[in-house]
Amino acid sequence: MSLSPLIRKILLVDLIKGLKVTFDYQKPSEAITEQYPLERPVVYERYRGLPRLKVDPEKGNSMCIVCNLCALACPEQLIVVKGERNPVTKRKEPVSWSYDLSRCMFCGLCAEACSTDALELTQDFEIAFYTREGMVLDQAALETGHEPKRYEK
Amino acid sequence: MLDAITKYLNTRGTPGEAGSMLWATIYILIITIGISLAVIAMNWLERKILAHMQIRLGPMRVGPHGLLQPFADALKLLIKEDIIPENADKLVFWSAPVVVTMTAFTTFLVVPFGREHAVTDMNIGILFMLGISSLGVLGIIMAGWSSNSHYPLMGSLRSSAQMVSYEVAMGLAIVCAVLMTSLQTGTGTLSMIGIVQAQAQQHTWFIFKFFPLGFLAFAIFAIAMVAETNRAPFDLPEAESELVAGFHTEYSGFRWSLFFLAEYAAMLAVSSIAVTLWLGGWMRPFPHWLHGPIWDLAFSFLPALTLLVLCELCLVGAARMPKIPQMKIQTIGLGLFGLLLGFAGLVLLLPGVRERVQDIYWFTVKIAFFMYLYIWYRGTFPRYRFDQLMKVGWKVLLPTGLGVLIATAIWGLLPQISSAILGVLP
Amino acid sequence: MSDFENDYRHAKSGQSGPGVVDYLDLDTKDQTYLDANELVLNMGPQHPSTHGVLRVILKLDGEKVLGTECIIGYLHRGVEKIAENRTYAMFNPYVDRMDYVAAVSNGLGYCEAVEKLLNTEAPPRAQYIRVILTELCRIASHQVWLGTHALDIGALTPLFYCFRDREEILRIFEKYCGARLTTHAFRIGGCIYETYDGFEQDCLKFCDAFLPKLDEYEELLTTNRIWVRRTKGVGILKPEDCIALGVTGPVLRAAGVKWDLRKAQPYECYSKFDFEVPTGLNGDTYDRYLVRIEEMRQSVRIIRQAVDGLPQGPIMAKIPKVLKPPVGEVYTSIEAPKGELGYFIVSDGSLQPYRLRVRPPSFVNLQALDKMVRGLLVADVVAVIGTLDIVLGEVDR
Repeated sequence: MSLSPLIRKILLVDLIKGLKVTFDYQKPSEAITEQYPLERPVVYERYRGLPRLKVDPEKGNSMCIVCNLCALACPEQLIVVKGERNPVTKRKEPVSWSYDLSRCMFCGLCAEACSTDALELTQDFEIAFYTREGMVLDQAALETGHEPKRYEK
Repeated sequence: MLDAITKYLNTRGTPGEAGSMLWATIYILIITIGISLAVIAMNWLERKILAHMQIRLGPMRVGPHGLLQPFADALKLLIKEDIIPENADKLVFWSAPVVVTMTAFTTFLVVPFGREHAVTDMNIGILFMLGISSLGVLGIIMAGWSSNSHYPLMGSLRSSAQMVSYEVAMGLAIVCAVLMTSLQTGTGTLSMIGIVQAQAQQHTWFIFKFFPLGFLAFAIFAIAMVAETNRAPFDLPEAESELVAGFHTEYSGFRWSLFFLAEYAAMLAVSSIAVTLWLGGWMRPFPHWLHGPIWDLAFSFLPALTLLVLCELCLVGAARMPKIPQMKIQTIGLGLFGLLLGFAGLVLLLPGVRERVQDIYWFTVKIAFFMYLYIWYRGTFPRYRFDQLMKVGWKVLLPTGLGVLIATAIWGLLPQISSAILGVLP
Repeated sequence: MSDFENDYRHAKSGQSGPGVVDYLDLDTKDQTYLDANELVLNMGPQHPSTHGVLRVILKLDGEKVLGTECIIGYLHRGVEKIAENRTYAMFNPYVDRMDYVAAVSNGLGYCEAVEKLLNTEAPPRAQYIRVILTELCRIASHQVWLGTHALDIGALTPLFYCFRDREEILRIFEKYCGARLTTHAFRIGGCIYETYDGFEQDCLKFCDAFLPKLDEYEELLTTNRIWVRRTKGVGILKPEDCIALGVTGPVLRAAGVKWDLRKAQPYECYSKFDFEVPTGLNGDTYDRYLVRIEEMRQSVRIIRQAVDGLPQGPIMAKIPKVLKPPVGEVYTSIEAPKGELGYFIVSDGSLQPYRLRVRPPSFVNLQALDKMVRGLLVADVVAVIGTLDIVLGEVDR
């Protein structure tokens, strides 16, 4: 065996190199932990989070025209929309909406299929509910979004 | 009563030498409390340092920067349900952690924190420590056997086999150091204080003596002590990702915390052997070359300086905490802790306290270095497989230890050998 | 009676069928099922090292392993049956959930298969985007493998370093398609998401930052004597055995067989890129480690070439909105990070596939476990399971 690998073996060079790597990483500035409730993570624009039904800002009514394309596109078939035609504006308006968030896999096919861009998946990821029934969102919940309920004893 | 106290304080010696039972008891109490505090500090330090090596933060919520985490863990362990397996041998199950903890603590009877800061100075000090720590292996076997489950049994047998094998290597390294104590006076000594005094007389730490032999003996001991205490990279018997979960599987709550305490106390004990034998014990660096009142004064400020630096770190950390109402208590707590450390640092500046604290400070600093090494190894190295572990112990460390021992003996006797040869030559 | 005892009964009575324990040779001469110093050990479904819910029954002689049997199915979710009730476009999100560590590759394989059935191809820009994301996914999957494998062998820190790098990749995925893990990045016919502003810069920045980190992991592990001793000579799989068992991926390449689907049967635009296929010499765990590290380097090379050569153009081919592929069947396979991931789709002309079968690489590679661990010690079984790089989501589907 030539001299140099033998010397390296005796002097434990490989172990010391490994020790150096971990030593250099010790500075607190290298720590990448985000302390969650105090520091919120950065969520990017295209993130597929809580769904939302958009409301027309000028007129105040829902942008959904009950075309049912989202319900057809959903792999889990968890969207149920019922609507009726409004005689004044000659558009269909939603009467009841039901989006079962507990079965949703946030694939985004419904938002892709929406013909008026009314349904979109927002960047909200803090969507824990206290009851299973509460996870079925109706139109009001979809339009206003989800406020995390603070726990009260 | 009062003059008994003052009589002891005026003598310069350990309570063992002074023959005072009262002071020996007081020292034992102080040491026990000190070890427990050291274990608590080690718990926090290990979690934080290991976390930082793994680029994460470690405990941050329980107390400012996780400082109260060890207390929370200790409290949790104390109030846990005490589970004893149904078919376990109750007496042995109860006494196994007791045996392990008691042996780990008993080794501290002879550890010299300073010239007169040991409980007693047995003239077989090092042999006593080695013997008592071997008794701890018995406790581990008891724990594994009494659990009545074959995973702990296999784990404890492996653990004890490992500990016994590496004790041989440790013993050889210790004999090398003991040989070196006889160089100047002609008679060696097994007493811990005597070994440090031999280093003081020979003006070198034994790690640098007969370079590289002293260093090799130190290296053998450093590796063997990691294996002796079942720590990474030799922690297969207690690794969670292997099948056998270790001898303390069936123990929960307070009993487990006793094993934990014993493991860390054993780490402290073998580190103190290493510090005493090779790193000069309580001596400050360069006592011979940088001697004189000015150097003594300069070095004597270091303990206070350390505490003041820690105080400053705490206060800076408190200033950098997020300024939201939830963190107010933590910020105040950290600030108070920093002020406490600063106060202790200022107390250490007083002239009377300064000299007394010197020895203990240097001893503690060296032990802290070894504790850091333990944590560093745990964060870096993978685990040895059990047969490879035994191979390293028997086929690498033992022959190297024997070789170093023989070489040290020959080198130490060189003056006599050479004069004998020269005397014989015409 | 537990199903384990049931298996014993079947073995004794000589019946065959599900649950018969053939591998373990339990019929001993005196009909006691086990010789005196043998032990049957169950590494149960809940175990820190089995990478998911895998149950391995080991027959041990002291510490040496005499035989194993893997019991899978704890994560079976019926994905292939679900496929028969969903349209082709609807099934796309389900595919990510099989090999959940490398979701993008699964999507690529599925889209490739359906496009072959429809006889179309994604436009060039979409192919380049797919290749970039798939190679990033390969690096991410190998990072998970490296971290967990090192953790099983005892090194605690590489796990965190690897997940830090994976975090960067997942951030790119999130910016691109909106999800980190179950990406649903590709669609049949191309990609639906255009690259975001700064996509190329992010990818190149990642590549530049990643290579020095890979060197650091190598410094920590490759020459480390403890690592070498734990992995060299452990779990040797010879090339003939690999081919006989159908093992693919880095396991096959580490045995010495230079077979990579990206070079042998190029798909997407892999034929335009210049990269090497690393092979090993001995087929042991250490070689598999080296092969995967080198694969990560080659992936960085491919990403750099793809980002530099990203063409302009459409990203979606012209396919009908309602997909009714012609009657027929197709089998396409891609080089997923774990091996050859194949999709076999039978179409009967309707909206939903008649049969969709996935050939998961981990499922086939897991069969090699028995051959690899005979004669090894118990502590090595964990290392070997780690080195096969299995994901139970894929094995069980």
